Amino acid sequence: MDSLQSLTAESFTYPQSYSFPPFFTLQPNLQTRLSQLRKWSRLIQRYCRHYHIFKLSLVSALDTSLFKNAELRKRLSLNDALQVVDWMTRDEGGRRAEWIDGGLDAKGGTAWVYWKRPEEWAEVIVGWVEETGQKSTVLTLYELINGEMTVGQGTVSRDWRPKSNAHGTLDFHGMDPDLFQRSLAVLVKRSKAQVFGSEDQQGVKFF
Amino acid sequence: MSARRGVGLSAFQNRSSLSTSYATHGASLRTAHLSSLQTQLSVFQSLLHNFALQHADTIKSNPSFRAEFARMCNAIGVDPLAGSNVKGKGAGKGGIGSLWAKVLGGDVNDFYFELAVRVVEVCRGSKGENGGLLGVKECKEQVKKGKGIGGGMDVSDDDILRAVKSLNPLGSGFSIVNVGSKQMIRSIPKELNTDQSRVLEAIQVLGYVTASMLEANLGWEHARAETVIDDLLADSLVWVDLQAPEKEYWSPTFMNDFED
Repeated sequence: MDSLQSLTAESFTYPQSYSFPPFFTLQPNLQTRLSQLRKWSRLIQRYCRHYHIFKLSLVSALDTSLFKNAELRKRLSLNDALQVVDWMTRDEGGRRAEWIDGGLDAKGGTAWVYWKRPEEWAEVIVGWVEETGQKSTVLTLYELINGEMTVGQGTVSRDWRPKSNAHGTLDFHGMDPDLFQRSLAVLVKRSKAQVFGSEDQQGVKFF
Repeated sequence: MSARRGVGLSAFQNRSSLSTSYATHGASLRTAHLSSLQTQLSVFQSLLHNFALQHADTIKSNPSFRAEFARMCNAIGVDPLAGSNVKGKGAGKGGIGSLWAKVLGGDVNDFYFELAVRVVEVCRGSKGENGGLLGVKECKEQVKKGKGIGGGMDVSDDDILRAVKSLNPLGSGFSIVNVGSKQMIRSIPKELNTDQSRVLEAIQVLGYVTASMLEANLGWEHARAETVIDDLLADSLVWVDLQAPEKEYWSPTFMNDFED
C-alpha cells in the first residue's frame, strides 16, 4: 500500500459480515451478489477512510486484513476483488472507485477509492479556504497538502461539514497529490480557483 | 308427583306443562346471567380503559409491560388488534375500531402500525441478502437501532409478531414461519417445501451444511441434496463458501448486519 497507515490508535471495526465465511466468495446468485457488492464497497470505503488511503493496489492489499480474515482463514481472491472494485467504478456502484491503470481489461489492479469523490473534496477545500479566510491568497500545493496549517482542519471547522467523522481523518492534509490536483481541477472548471506554476512549484489561488 | 308416571292421556298434559316451566325457568336464568355478565363486562371494560389510559405512556415505552398487557388481553379472549384495519380515530362512535384504538384513542394502535412499517422496511432492505426470510430477533435488533426517521424503537419479540400480524389485512404476504426453533418473518409470498425447511433447520443446528452432510444426516441421495441447495441458492436463502474443502452453505440470517 502506498499510503502511510494513519497513526490513529483507534482500531478499525469490521462489519459483522466480515465474520461470515461466504462473504469472501462472490455469490453466484445475482440478487445476493448485488447486496454482497454493496457490503464490500462500504467496507472498502470505510477502511480506506479510516486509514487515510486514497490509492488502493489490489495485489498488495490482498494480504492486508481488508481482504483477508486471518481468523476465519478466508480471503477474497484477486479476481473477486477486481470484480468488487470494478463494480464500484461503475454507475450502479456509485462510482466510488476509478481504475488508475486500466483495470480489468488492462490487467491492472490499482484504483482510486473515492470515499470522497474529487467533487466532494473540492467542497471540503473550498470550505476550508472560506473558513480560514484564505480567499485570493496564493498558496502552494505543497503547503496545502503538507503544511502545518492544514493539519486536522477536518476537526476545526465542523460547522460547514454536514457529517463530522469520528476518526478525524476527513482532512485533506497528507492527501495524495494527484487526487488533490484532480479536486482542484474541479474548482478550476467552476472558475473558483486558478492553478499556476511548474511541476513541483505549483501554486493555487482561490476566488 | 313427577315420580309417578302418568298413564293415558293425562301423561301428555303433565309432560307439556313440565317442559314449559323448565323453559321459563331457563329463560329467566339466562337473562339473569346475561345481565350480570353484561355488568361485569362493562365494569371490566371501563377498568381496562382506565388502566390503559393511566398507563398509556408505559405501554408505549416499555416493551415488557406492553407484552404483559397484551398477554392479559389475550388471556381474557380480547384480541387487541382485531379489526385494526379500520382506523381507530376515523371510525369514531359505533365504528369497529380495535380495542387499542377505542381505548387509547388510536395511540397504541398507531404504535403497531408504525412498527409494522419499520418491519416492512427492514425486511425489504435486507431481501437481497436473505431472500426475504429474516429472524424475528434480527428484525428486532434492526428496529431498535432505528436508522429510519424517528430513531430506534424499544420493542420486544412479541411486538414484532403483533406488528406482522397487523399486516394481515393487507394481504401483503408477510407471515411468521417457524424454521427449527427459530421464528422468522417471511416477506415474500413463497412457501418453503419440506426439504428446504429441513436444510435450513440443519444449518441452524450445525452452522452450515454441505451436500455430503445432508446425504449422511438425512439419508438423501446426492441429486436430492444438490437440488434443494440449488433452489435455496436461487432464492438467496443461503450463501455459498467456495473456500472450503467441500462447498459450504450458510444462512445469511446469522450474518445479521444491514449497513445499506
